[in-house]
Amino acid sequence: MQRHPMTRLALAAATWLLVQGLLLATAGVARAEQRPAAAGEPIRIGVLVPLSGIGAAAGKDATDGWNLWWQRHGRTVAGREIQSFIEDTAGNPDLGLSKARLLVEQRQVHMLVGTVFASVGLAVATYVEQVGIPTFYPIAAADDLTQRHRVPNLMRIAGWSSSQVTHPFGEWVATTTPCRRLVTLAADYAFGHEAVGGFVNTFTDVGGQVLEQIWHPIAETDFSPYLARLAATRPDCVFAMPVGAPIIRFIQAWHDLGLWGRIPLYVGEVVTDQAILRGIDPPDLVVGLISAGHWAEGRDDATTQEFVRLYEDAYRILPSYYAAAMYTAAQWLTRAITAANGRVEDRQAFLQTVRATQLQETPFGPARLDDYNHPIFNVYIREVVKRPDGRAWNVVRHTIPNVSQFYKYDPEAYLRQPVYSRQYQGINWP
Amino acid sequence: MRTAWTWASVAVLGTLGMFAPLYLPAFYLRLLTESLIYAMFAMSIDLLAGYAGLVTLGHAGIFGISAYLVGYLTARLGLPMHVTFPCGVLGAVGASLLFGIMAVRTSGVYFLLITMAQGMIVWGLAFRWTSVTGSENGIRGILRPDALATQQAYYYVILGAFVLVAFLLVRLVRSPFGLSLLGLRENEARLRALGYSVWLHRLLAFLVSGCFAGIAGAFYAFHNNFVSPDAVHFVLSGQGLLMVILGGAGTLVGPVVGAGVFIFLRNVVSLYTDRWPMVLGALFVLTVLLAPQGLVGLARQLLRRWPAGAEPAPVGSTLPYGVVSPQPLDGRNNPAPHQPTNHPGKRRR
Amino acid sequence: MAAVPALQLEEVTRSFGRLQAVDGVSLRVEAGERRAIIGPNGAGKTTLFNLITGELPLTRGRIFLFAQELTHLPVEARIAQGLGRTYQVTNLFPQLTVEQNLLLAALGLTRTKFRMLAGLPRSGPVREQVERLLAEVRLEYARQRPARELSHGEQRQLEVAMALASRPRVLLLDEPAAGLSAAERVMMGSLIRALPRDLTVVFIEHDMDLALGLADRVTCLHYGQIIAEDTPDRIRTNAQVQRVYLGVG
Repeated sequence: MQRHPMTRLALAAATWLLVQGLLLATAGVARAEQRPAAAGEPIRIGVLVPLSGIGAAAGKDATDGWNLWWQRHGRTVAGREIQSFIEDTAGNPDLGLSKARLLVEQRQVHMLVGTVFASVGLAVATYVEQVGIPTFYPIAAADDLTQRHRVPNLMRIAGWSSSQVTHPFGEWVATTTPCRRLVTLAADYAFGHEAVGGFVNTFTDVGGQVLEQIWHPIAETDFSPYLARLAATRPDCVFAMPVGAPIIRFIQAWHDLGLWGRIPLYVGEVVTDQAILRGIDPPDLVVGLISAGHWAEGRDDATTQEFVRLYEDAYRILPSYYAAAMYTAAQWLTRAITAANGRVEDRQAFLQTVRATQLQETPFGPARLDDYNHPIFNVYIREVVKRPDGRAWNVVRHTIPNVSQFYKYDPEAYLRQPVYSRQYQGINWP
Repeated sequence: MRTAWTWASVAVLGTLGMFAPLYLPAFYLRLLTESLIYAMFAMSIDLLAGYAGLVTLGHAGIFGISAYLVGYLTARLGLPMHVTFPCGVLGAVGASLLFGIMAVRTSGVYFLLITMAQGMIVWGLAFRWTSVTGSENGIRGILRPDALATQQAYYYVILGAFVLVAFLLVRLVRSPFGLSLLGLRENEARLRALGYSVWLHRLLAFLVSGCFAGIAGAFYAFHNNFVSPDAVHFVLSGQGLLMVILGGAGTLVGPVVGAGVFIFLRNVVSLYTDRWPMVLGALFVLTVLLAPQGLVGLARQLLRRWPAGAEPAPVGSTLPYGVVSPQPLDGRNNPAPHQPTNHPGKRRR
Repeated sequence: MAAVPALQLEEVTRSFGRLQAVDGVSLRVEAGERRAIIGPNGAGKTTLFNLITGELPLTRGRIFLFAQELTHLPVEARIAQGLGRTYQVTNLFPQLTVEQNLLLAALGLTRTKFRMLAGLPRSGPVREQVERLLAEVRLEYARQRPARELSHGEQRQLEVAMALASRPRVLLLDEPAAGLSAAERVMMGSLIRALPRDLTVVFIEHDMDLALGLADRVTCLHYGQIIAEDTPDRIRTNAQVQRVYLGVG
């Protein structure tokens, strides 16, 4: 009886030793990889994307877009080689944070780019604020990343925020369509709250009325009850934004309940993004759907179409906004590194250069940063159209130029309001 | 001889642990810290699943309630850690009390389902109670006091807490109460007929386990400076259980090893391949098929065979705490005495 | 007025659907008495035990232990009132050692069972109790063996020891000798005979010689009803008992 605890303890010791040994061994390997930072040495960029788990498809698009830029435009900028270290976050904040630290502390990267999920982005934000490394988020859309909780060294180059594209959309619907009485239906989480909040805020500013706001669980499988309820309130139009896999079920239910053509439907950018459109069969289900977005792969513009063609040649599919954003982020960084003469080690100066970089021609259109490290760009009112090859894409029906994350509002006053949530949708503000 | 070997290992282990910040680069020190936090979490699950036979799939909920409380009080209200930490743990115990009262009257698959549902309720709250939890944006900026700001300082705090938690748990499982947990697992009807109030013992086990899960959750919030719905997600409950089974249920060493292996695989193997979840899955399947008592059980068997032909292990040396699968008492399946007690098949009532 | 009976049943009934497994059984067992319950298979003997300990709820009737009513108490409270039992089908903690099985049993009615940070008792009343019981049922040599590795006979001995561990006032033994070899049977008999005289023992037994040899009085159950209750000698010659039980069995 007395000896057993000892045996167990010994086993504990042995196994833990083994784990420590493994850690130590890998640490050794990792150390050997470290090199001192110096000009002329490669510029190391850490890229955080989900390559496993639920976000793996988006992560692949993002990686493809990122790689495409460097393949097409060369991996040498200002005389220095660009090295990308792409790490998997699995869409998990813990792991994202670990990987961010790995990239910064072990790989000694000069800057970080990435994160698809807002949760991972927010987790990483606290860390990068502490260490001051230049960090760029082209995809994660959480409003407060560049608003109430902004981080000086974190910039959303080629990025967007949830309410940025819906602000002009709400106003556009209220002023150019007959719709005055609105019902919203969206996924019940922060991205949904923020995107719908943007729409509702401007929609009500110009006299529109919100009859009801319906929030559905993010992984909803059956939309019929919501749509029945929605139809019963007899709105002039509907703004809807389910996300991910439920989107196709939502579209199907909209058709099945005979709402298509009866109630005008406006949707969020992600609903008709290529990441979703590619999987919709037949594409006729969504042809004619109106949305607003900062990305429009069908935009009649040379730079946009050059990127779309390059991407299509390389990967046989049309690019989603994940791909476009990472491609454009690479373009932005190339310009900034060139302007900084390759001196990325001076973080403050480099951040300043990135902030000052203005791009006239990107796949998104012209873009520059505001005083809050967030891009000002065009917002496109898009319509889904079937191409001659049978695939659906978003073409531009109307362009609202130079939209900032605050739209027409005064930034200071805007930031005194809370971030959009279920409780606060900006209906009575301003 | 065995004792000498043990003490030598403890000495080496202690030294390695004490001086880890000196030889481990910051990133790996962080991983070590993280595995110690997850080890505490996995041990709390094992207390229920491995010892008391109550397989739970909702423990991340309790873990996360503590993490969220700490996060809210620290980041939003600006309270200091010595206030928020106990609040987090107390919150976890409170939640355990509530959940426990609901769950302990069931067992087996019903217990599993009800705890899973509880975990999902917490997740739903974390996801939808935006004004408090920030929805999937979570709560960030959960900063440690300046004295603990560095990875090194925090590591020592976690190491100390881990040693304390492990010590308390070792005492617990060897106490009369610990024995009653084994009784619960083995034959709860018989335990009742010996004068034990089965539901009270289960509830106590649930509370104690919830308390330790809460400690792990509070440390987790300060470790990441961040908490999001992933910290209360069903997946984390499953991963905790996976750590327990991987390492060896019904042992305290098992969850620690399981947590270490899990964190190692997730962070280090994923540097080399995006297919790391498959590696983890394969390891898990192999463990269940070939070493149902987990890696610790396997190591024990190997150790016993190692000095081949030496004195046979004392009968029952893997008992009381090392055995996972109860066997029918009909005599057919009784192995001959002096056989290692290794039973394939999952623990299931 | 007679002494308070150790165990008293009033019209105890349990039905499963339309089947009356135990049908209006009234029984009075005096303190210190050895009472055998006999009857053919399916007579409701084990069901009766389960009703007494509370493992099955009653359909109707009342149960008293030394004039204390047990009818509405849960199992563990009835045990605390001084009831102990063994099971027909061996019912132990299979992975735990003999010693642990006994410790669990001995701790059952103490507050020590809630201690979370103390070690298992190495001395004191609980430990002494365990040691005494180990000696009484002659299992000292097997104390470190898991219950599952014991022979059937040893397991039955352990069962008796566990039932005694909570120092019951009334002990219910459900076929203590079932499945035992002749030698083990003798051993079990002497074990039961050696139980303290002030302990009330009610036992179910199929082995008539053993049952009639140990009992002060015998109750015969048939289809859930008492058909006879008498001294062993008279039961042996009771025509009804012979017809339903001895003739068959």
